[in-house]
This record gives sequence, C-alpha cells and structure tokens, in this order.
Amino acid sequence: MRLAANGLYIEEYVKCANCGSLIYESELPSTVAVEGKGLFCSQWCVDWAKKREERKEQGS
Amino acid sequence: MDPVMMKVLDSTMVSICREMGIVLMQTSYSTIFNEALDFSCAIANRDGDMIACAEFCPAQIGGMPLMAKSVVKEIPLDQIYEGDVILHNDPYRGGLHTPEHTLFKPIFVDDEIRGFAVSIGHIAEVGGMVPGGFCGEATEIFHEGLRIPPVKIVSKGKDNEDIWRLMLANVRTPRYNFGDLRALISAVDLGERRMKEIYEKYGVDAVDQTCNDLMDYSERRMRAEIKQIPDGIYPFEDVVEDDGIEDRQYKIFVEVHKDGDDIVADFTGSAKQAKGPINATLGVTMSATYNALLHMTDPTIPKNSGCFRPIRVVAPAGTVVNVDFPAPEVGGNTETHPRIAGTVIGALAQVIPHLSMAAEGCTHGNFVFGGVHADTKEFFACYDIEVVGWGGRSFADGNDACDSINGNCRVTPVEVFEARYPWRVEDWVFREDSAGAGKHRGGVGYTKTLTCLNDEIIISQMTDRHKTQPWGLNGGLPGGMGATLFMKSGSSEWQTAVQAYNKNSPSKFSNISIVKGDRVQLVMPAGGGYGAPPDRDPEAVREDVAEGYVSADAARDIYGQRGADK
Repeated sequence: MRLAANGLYIEEYVKCANCGSLIYESELPSTVAVEGKGLFCSQWCVDWAKKREERKEQGS
Repeated sequence: MDPVMMKVLDSTMVSICREMGIVLMQTSYSTIFNEALDFSCAIANRDGDMIACAEFCPAQIGGMPLMAKSVVKEIPLDQIYEGDVILHNDPYRGGLHTPEHTLFKPIFVDDEIRGFAVSIGHIAEVGGMVPGGFCGEATEIFHEGLRIPPVKIVSKGKDNEDIWRLMLANVRTPRYNFGDLRALISAVDLGERRMKEIYEKYGVDAVDQTCNDLMDYSERRMRAEIKQIPDGIYPFEDVVEDDGIEDRQYKIFVEVHKDGDDIVADFTGSAKQAKGPINATLGVTMSATYNALLHMTDPTIPKNSGCFRPIRVVAPAGTVVNVDFPAPEVGGNTETHPRIAGTVIGALAQVIPHLSMAAEGCTHGNFVFGGVHADTKEFFACYDIEVVGWGGRSFADGNDACDSINGNCRVTPVEVFEARYPWRVEDWVFREDSAGAGKHRGGVGYTKTLTCLNDEIIISQMTDRHKTQPWGLNGGLPGGMGATLFMKSGSSEWQTAVQAYNKNSPSKFSNISIVKGDRVQLVMPAGGGYGAPPDRDPEAVREDVAEGYVSADAARDIYGQRGADK
C-alpha cells in the first residue's frame, strides 16, 4: 500500500477514524487530523463523530 | 437533460450488461458461473462510478463502485492503455472477499478513456487452506487464498504471462481458473466493443452528458423515496452466531439516521473484528446497506452510483463490519452481508413496516469441497451455493428456497451436480413446519442429503443460523434453523461437525475428510413470519398443509385452524 523512504514495501492501511474509508496517500491533503481522535477523511466525519459522542453523553 | 435519450441509453447499456453476462455464463468452465450465475457485469465511467448494470448479484453490484474507485486510485488513468485488462480481488482495497475477482477493461474513444467495462465473478477455487475458498477456520487472510491488488493481466491486448503463471500456480484447479478468467475477460471485451459502438453512434459528448444526467436522475428518485420515510434515528441489532474459532456471538448493530432526503447508516457499536472469517470488508457493508435500501424503495429506479449518493455508511475500522488487515473475511460477503442488510431493514421496519420483511435464512450454505476425481485423476473443487427461506412481508409470504438476498444465484441442478462431482444426491425436500408462522409465513427451508462416491472428498463450510433463528416481524414467529449433519459409512447416527469431527462450530469448519459411503445432510434455514399467525387466511393454511409445508398439528396449535388436513 505504501512505500517507505528506503523503498521497502509496507503493508499499511490508513482508515478514517469515523467512517472507516481507506485513505490513500494522494488524499492526505484533504484529510482532517484531530488530536487524540485520529485522521478523518472529511470535515463531515469529524462533525458526525462529535455529534455521536454528544448523543452518547446525553443518553448516559 | 433529454429524457428520451436518457431512457434509450439506459436501456441499451443494461442490455449490454445482460449480453456480457450471457457470454460469461456460456463460456465459463465452473458450475458456480454457468449454473449458479454468481457473477455481475456493469459499465463504469472514468471516475469509477457505476453507470449501468443488469439483474445480477446485489452484493457485487453494490460493491462494484468502491472497487472501481480503488482501481483508478492505484493505477492512474495515464498509465492505463487501450487493450489493458485489470484484475482486482483485494478485500482491503475495496474488494468484497478473496474469491470475488473483478476485471476492468478501459473503453477508449479518440485515444481517451471514457469508462470501463466491468465483470465480477466468484472464482470457485483460490488456493489457501481449503479447496473451494471458504475456510471456516481461517484466522488470517493468507489462509483464504491468493490476494491480488489491482494488476494488469492483459497489457495492450497481450496476456501478461508472468501474472497468469503466478496466479495459476497458486490454485488447485488451474485449468478451470484459466477458463473462468477467460470468460470474465470475454465479458469485458464485449462490453468495451458495445460501448464503443454507442459512442460512435451518439457521440462522446452526448453519451457522457446523458450518463451524468442518468445518475442525477437516479439520485433524485432515491431522494424522493427516502423523503417519504419519517425523520428519526432507528436502531436495530442482530448477531452472527459464532466465527468458527470461538463459541460466542458477534453483534451487528446499526443506527439508521433519516434526515430529510439523506440516510446515514452508522454501525458504531458493532462487535470488534472476529478471529474467524465472518468479518465484512467496508465494500461489503456499503453494498449491504445499499441492498437493504434498494429492497425497500421503488425497484424501477435505474441502478447506478447516483442512487447510492443519498446513502452514507459509517463502519468503524477493526470491527466485524470493516475488517482490518490481516484478519480473515471470506464469510463477510456471504453470511455477514445479509445480516447487515437485515439490520437496516429491521431498523426501518419500525417506521415503514409495509416495505419491510422478516429475517431470511441469511446464508448461502457455502458448502465447498474438492479432491482428486477417481475417473479423471484431475483435482476438482466446487463452491456449492445452497438457498434459504426468505422473510414474510406485509403483503406476501417469503419466497421458498431462494438464494439469500445478496446473491440472486441459482441452485445447481441435481443432474449437473451429480455429473460434475462424485456425489449422489439422495434427496432434496422441503421441510415441514420450518417456515416462521405468520399472517404471511416465512419461506420454507429444505434438506439435501448427499452420499460420497469418491475415495475421498475434502469438505469445508462457512454458514450460519445453526444456533440462532431468523427473526419474525410484527408478531410473526422465527423461522427454523439450519444444520449440517454427517453419517459415517456403516453408522446410522447423524452427528454435527462438533460431535463427529471435534470442530469448534457446527456451521463453520475446514478440511473434513469424507470417504466413499459417508453421507452429508445440509439442512437450510427458513424465513421468519410477518404478522400474527391467527390472522393468516384459513385457505392459505389449508393449502400449506396440502403442500406439506405446514403440519396439521401446527395448523391447529399455531394458526388455530381446526380440521386442516392433507
């Protein structure tokens, strides 16, 4: 999936912390990193995960 | 938008896909293709969006767009040439499971890629731990056969022989795999040729614009359907009964969020991924969600990527609904898919019960076997699809003995099965009182009994619903469970795989050696019922008793119908 700087093959799959979509290296510029939460493929996923947590807190 | 042109082009492209399927069926070697029809054909645009498909396997149709998009991400368009054929089966790159081989052939017009002809087929033998691909005891992807990221097996019209040799050296039935892959290539060859004729007839701009209009139209139709569902959050859950390794249930949980004309299916809360091969890939979970929505909306909506746009899927990584490398996954596409689709249907049944159905058998049986044929001395392998009863609906009984909702495949006829493989089929009978009772009963399950005629056959299975019943809906009762039973030569006792072979699970096991005279009985689950049984039309109960679907005792005790008799 990815090549390390030394050219060796690395079997590594990076997925969105919310929806689970595979994130390709070419897509990294459009991703959103949230400290402590991980890498998200879009702002929509950041917002959705936040709302889900809020609902969970309200429900508990 | 030109609606006449759109309708003409849609119908034409669907016809092309059907013709691709006929070529595939007629030229393939294995019964999984030419009898069971476990394949799909489609046309995609250059971005990987599906623009047309025909009436093939819902699992493959819903999963195709993600696979196509992964191909164009991994092989840039400027590195794809006319005459190339790309092969892809990688479950971690958008694929569905290892046996599902997908072929893409670019459609070039005026030296530019306009789209792809696509064929997807379940190759029966893929190497790995067991003959037939379904290893019920796999604990890593490497047990499940050869994994192929997007590669060119044909480059500029010429076979990439190194790739072919590598692939065929890693399977037990190279002659059959070669023939089946050739059939898949024939299908995309035809699709490419037909689409070029379409481009020549109508012009590039007209075809491309109309395809975009067509996807927009499907999106509008799907949004209009979704809009009629009341807004809200609807949870539902079901389980996979075990994973073949540990004797415990794995929860599939969904919250369906309906807001305006959008739907989000959020599977957060589903079980962590299993050690055994029940895990679904992301492509499977997306496909299963689309499948559920397509079952509950207007069937005349053109099936393309447009109708999937209003539907978002949230499937956390590392769970049974989005497997992480290198966990096994072969059963995710067959057993977990219908469970996922069922949870979405079950969730929405709370607000649109008239469009819902009770649980179906939710398995394809996945009875796989192989060995060296005594007559030909050649290794054979078979993926045998078995079918189930479907769930009852608000307006009709469930379908009797029909492939689970993600497959749309046929049963291999007994005569063909016996001619191709060294088994005698002793019986194939509907099971009395298997259907979940209800105002509209579930579809009936059945029993198939086989006797081994070869010196040895190695069998494996990856099925479910041996411990958990398909649920009923709105007062309907659950459907009957399945079972797989063994009677060794000289014995008169039926035993499960746990009892006879010390396996962990009765429904998921690997590499059981069967010898001449041994018998195997496949008991397939039935569908759950819909509505309270006493509300069933008495004439329908009498007919069921006459057909042998319902016993006189059940007619009296469950349906309250006295005097119903054969």
